[in-house]
Amino acid sequence: MSMNMTPERFAQLVDIHGSQPARWPAQERQAAEAWQRDNPAAAALCREYAQLEALLDALPVPPLPGLEQRVLQRAASLATDSLLDQAMDWLLPRGDRLLAWIWRPALVACLPLICGIYMANFFSFGISGPEVAWEEELALLALNDYAEITE
Amino acid sequence: MTDDEALMQAIVAGDSRAYEAAIRQHLKSISHFAFRMLGNSKDTEDIAQETFLRLWTHASTWQREKASVSTWLHRIAHNLCIDYLRKDKSSLSNEYEDEHEGSDRPADAPEKSQQLAALQQALDALPERQRSAIVLSHYHGFSNKEIASIMDISVDALESILARARRSLKAQLKQ
Repeated sequence: MSMNMTPERFAQLVDIHGSQPARWPAQERQAAEAWQRDNPAAAALCREYAQLEALLDALPVPPLPGLEQRVLQRAASLATDSLLDQAMDWLLPRGDRLLAWIWRPALVACLPLICGIYMANFFSFGISGPEVAWEEELALLALNDYAEITE
Repeated sequence: MTDDEALMQAIVAGDSRAYEAAIRQHLKSISHFAFRMLGNSKDTEDIAQETFLRLWTHASTWQREKASVSTWLHRIAHNLCIDYLRKDKSSLSNEYEDEHEGSDRPADAPEKSQQLAALQQALDALPERQRSAIVLSHYHGFSNKEIASIMDISVDALESILARARRSLKAQLKQ
């Protein structure tokens, strides 16, 4: 099995997967373990990585006091938010998302204008169009001319 | 039906108890990942809050055949951390360093303390994707396939990133 392993491939395996044989790919593990046993340089490389891994293990995350409680509180408020609350959350998002703070209120402020333009396109609200007024005007002028001629 | 499926179906249906259960199950891993990426508790909390907000609002987009819930949540957190680091790198502060400076370590361990500080600096100096790959591989025990899915890259690309990260950390510690 050891015959299939090369120094380059062994170094690559350890670079990728670390020093623990349990993390090496199953199909190469036996050959790599044999290579490590038979080659002092390979064993030394594994020791270097094992040292690095031991140091990584010694870097713990410090306690994050109250985090779970705060995330759960937020979750509880999310789950019970009314539609209005959800709409307000969308309109004025929490946190420092500056862009969302600007474009969302701007979009909402523009909505009445957009609705007004849309509705004006569809409804005359009793105001007749100018072409109708002109037709009526021309008809009156023609009637006037006719009256003058007949006098 | 798997546990993940049952959990996500309940969340999609608006079950707040299922949502809280998911938070309790995954918060530690997500917050530790964010802390190891960002190095301070304030930003870690922002990332954790945003990740679990998306669990509530985007649960219906989770696809069982693509990823476990854990992988999916780490993917969200990874993307949020990368966005954060790219937008606001200048404001990074590292509580690890504060902790190393302020800790009451025994007097016979100054060498290890120095090594830890050097390792932390080396981790901070890694490009974001290399740091994320090392954190997900070493601390969270994800397989390379899962990490590739979290980072949305191929397994080959991930292995290249992991190898560069490990070599870089080893070289920094040798100096």
